Amino acid sequence: MTASISWQRRRAAAGRVWAQFSADRSGLTGLAILGVIVLLALLAPLISDSSALDVTKATGGLLKPPGGGFLLGTDENGRSVLQLLLWGSRISLLVGLTATLLSVGVGTVVGVLMAHFGGWVQAVLMRVTDFFLVLPSLVLAAVLSTVLSPGIGSIILAIGATAWPTTARLVRSQTLAVESRPYIERSWALGAGHLHVIGKHVLPAVLPLVFANTTLNVANSIITESTLSFLGVGDPNQPSWGQMLHNALQSGAVTAQAWWYLLPPGVAIGVVVLAFMMCGRALEAVLNPRLRER
Amino acid sequence: MRIRGIGIGLIAAGIAVLSAPIAAQAQDTPQPKTLRVAVTGNIATMNPFMAFHLGDTEIGRVMYAFLTSYSRDDFSPAPGLADKWQVSDDKLTWTYHIRSGAKWSDDQPITARDVAWTFNKIMTDKTAATANGNFVANFDTVTATDDSTVVIKTKTPQATMLALDVPIVPEHVWSKVTDIGKYDNLQYPVVGSGPFTLTNFTQGQSITLKANPDYYGDKPAYDQLQFRHYDNADAAVQGLKNGDVDVVSGLTPTQYTALQSTPNITTVKARQGRQNDLLINYQAQTNDHQPVGDANPVLKDPKVRQAIAQSVDVKTLVDKAYGGLAEPGAGFVPAVYEQWHWTPSGTQEQKFDLAAAGKLLDEAGYAKGADGVRADKQGKPINLRLVVDSGIPAQVAAANFIKGWLTQVGLGVTLQALSSDAVTDAGSTGKYDLELNGWTGNPDPDALLSIQTCGVLPDADGNGNTENFMCDPQIDQLYKAQLSEMDKAKRIQDVKDLQARLYSLDSSVVIAYPNSLEAYRSDRWASFGLQPSQGGSITHQNGYYGYLLAKPADAASSGGGSNTTLIVVIVVVVVVLLGGGAFLLSRRRKAGADERE
Repeated sequence: MTASISWQRRRAAAGRVWAQFSADRSGLTGLAILGVIVLLALLAPLISDSSALDVTKATGGLLKPPGGGFLLGTDENGRSVLQLLLWGSRISLLVGLTATLLSVGVGTVVGVLMAHFGGWVQAVLMRVTDFFLVLPSLVLAAVLSTVLSPGIGSIILAIGATAWPTTARLVRSQTLAVESRPYIERSWALGAGHLHVIGKHVLPAVLPLVFANTTLNVANSIITESTLSFLGVGDPNQPSWGQMLHNALQSGAVTAQAWWYLLPPGVAIGVVVLAFMMCGRALEAVLNPRLRER
Repeated sequence: MRIRGIGIGLIAAGIAVLSAPIAAQAQDTPQPKTLRVAVTGNIATMNPFMAFHLGDTEIGRVMYAFLTSYSRDDFSPAPGLADKWQVSDDKLTWTYHIRSGAKWSDDQPITARDVAWTFNKIMTDKTAATANGNFVANFDTVTATDDSTVVIKTKTPQATMLALDVPIVPEHVWSKVTDIGKYDNLQYPVVGSGPFTLTNFTQGQSITLKANPDYYGDKPAYDQLQFRHYDNADAAVQGLKNGDVDVVSGLTPTQYTALQSTPNITTVKARQGRQNDLLINYQAQTNDHQPVGDANPVLKDPKVRQAIAQSVDVKTLVDKAYGGLAEPGAGFVPAVYEQWHWTPSGTQEQKFDLAAAGKLLDEAGYAKGADGVRADKQGKPINLRLVVDSGIPAQVAAANFIKGWLTQVGLGVTLQALSSDAVTDAGSTGKYDLELNGWTGNPDPDALLSIQTCGVLPDADGNGNTENFMCDPQIDQLYKAQLSEMDKAKRIQDVKDLQARLYSLDSSVVIAYPNSLEAYRSDRWASFGLQPSQGGSITHQNGYYGYLLAKPADAASSGGGSNTTLIVVIVVVVVVLLGGGAFLLSRRRKAGADERE
């Protein structure tokens, strides 16, 4: 009985969030763009054949401008840039999302632990967080992805390992705010353990904020992935948008002024990041109590 | 009044300070005329005993004279420090006459003793033999009988005695060096004998050399030669377009095509003595025959190697990965050295044939799994790492093709695009399955063939310039035979037999002999000394004619004019702003003073 009441409440809360979110036009636009891109990425194996990525089966001329069956022209090996863009979206999104989940996961756990236990736990974890916070994250990520065996996993790990401190500090401050409320004290008095307080009270109160933060973080992760690939430490076995830009630069597409090879991945990165930002800002405005209109 | 005085003073000072550089330039200290060459590879050392990387030897060639040189026209032996030479009837004793009057850049005479000291150093010091040990391995004694005569006695006849690519160093400098391996050779100006003297080397930035007035041969028509470092070819091309450098080499096919239609830039395409090959790592070992590295053991099976060789379509690679600006690969010696170059006959040829490669693997017992990937004898799916230098676009492109074909025959391939340092590390320690590599040969094939002999296997630390750890009795025997064969026709046969044996082992698959693609600023430079003089290249020659014989374009048409105009305009604008500001300031102060009164 109580469960159904709390579910009703939750459903109502979700409805309120959606109502507020959908009132934000830019948030909705971002969501729509993301929906289309994610759908295309997921359907890539259905609407195209992965042999489009195999250079030995490429049919186009080398670095030819749009036309002749290639909507966005061809790359230096005669592959369709449009196909590369389509397949590249999968890796860019996959790495962006996974790396964000990793960093937000680590950040949330560390943040909650710091605020909840305080004392020496906080002292130690805080120093570790500060240490990672002051390191130049791009350099650290580049070094990590070079040292670890090359591959997508290393890139995800490298981004995740460098992006968590901001989340940790955000979650810590929110946890502190929540734990100072009287109902938590009441809960302690009723004999709740750490697990109960964190699991039943702190996390549900913190998670909406974490969720908004995640959406914003994905944008950063995608940019970092593109940057790393562009710098040449990405995985050459998998096409991503950053990898396309890297190949374009390496093969001399800039000198050849092959805009059809340079612009699409750049614009795609920009659009996806913008969409995540728009969604994230709108969500944040709804979910973050400090930003909520009174 | 006084304040206005300060304002006028400011204007005057501004004009004086800002116009000073122009005045100086316009009067008599002319800027040294500099030929600026872009380099993208890593320049590791200026020590000629340690320098075997392409960029290093390129600079060694302009710093030091060799005993003999290669003619500009056709690479035939030409005088260097030695102006005459003769060989005894038993072909074992060579007598070189050192030209008289030649001087080191510090005015000391160049004598036969310097030559003898250099060779003796390489013969007695293992570290000093790192780069050029192959030339002296067969030497018995090297003596300077007087200041102008060097006598070299060899153990067996040696065919490369007029192609000893060993920079001759000054004894009076180098005899004081205690540890050759650690000596950086950067005591400016570095004492040399070539057409240019090294005056500055800043790692990762630039290398500056000035014309050597004591050089015995032609004098360059300009003052300074500067190599400027760029991170990648596209940055170098932008530098060329902006006029920051004068010559760019190692263009990608895309860049070459694009620059053909760029004003003030002339492109140069040449055949060159370079080959690119795919290494198949199956016998990584040290010089005491201890196995090293972590190659996939499946490569020990000759059938697997042959299947790999048959899965590489060199013609498509040339058309696509090299944009048609290369020649398809066959024998190990590049096609430009036509007399030494070998191509397989019909029965020897391992033709591109994916079906045949697949069949070969089927017969050898590597069955395809459900996912199309073959399993090795232990039932593990075969996955080969293909190591490639991420900084060389043609190699990365070629690697993608090779991956595509091998995947089709059921061999899994993972590309590893690494920095050139990491590629070198992986190569010397045997930590690769497949690797794309490249070597540049000399007109005489000896040095190129020597990297396939047991003698250059690396030590435990990976020092040794072997290609793919080749150590085969038959190859060693053919190598020795060609080195001591004085009958040219027979020597050519030995060299070709060696290449045939190498081809049959499938240690490496030569994929292409890329053309050298270069471009230069034709508004600044009229011509270069190409080698060969018809259809040759500017950089990476077997000589230094490209730099030595570079002719600046007429001074009138040089790009300096627009720059000066720009500076004048900037100066005028700044002066006007300064002056105007000072004037306004003085008026305001004055107004203030008026109001106070």
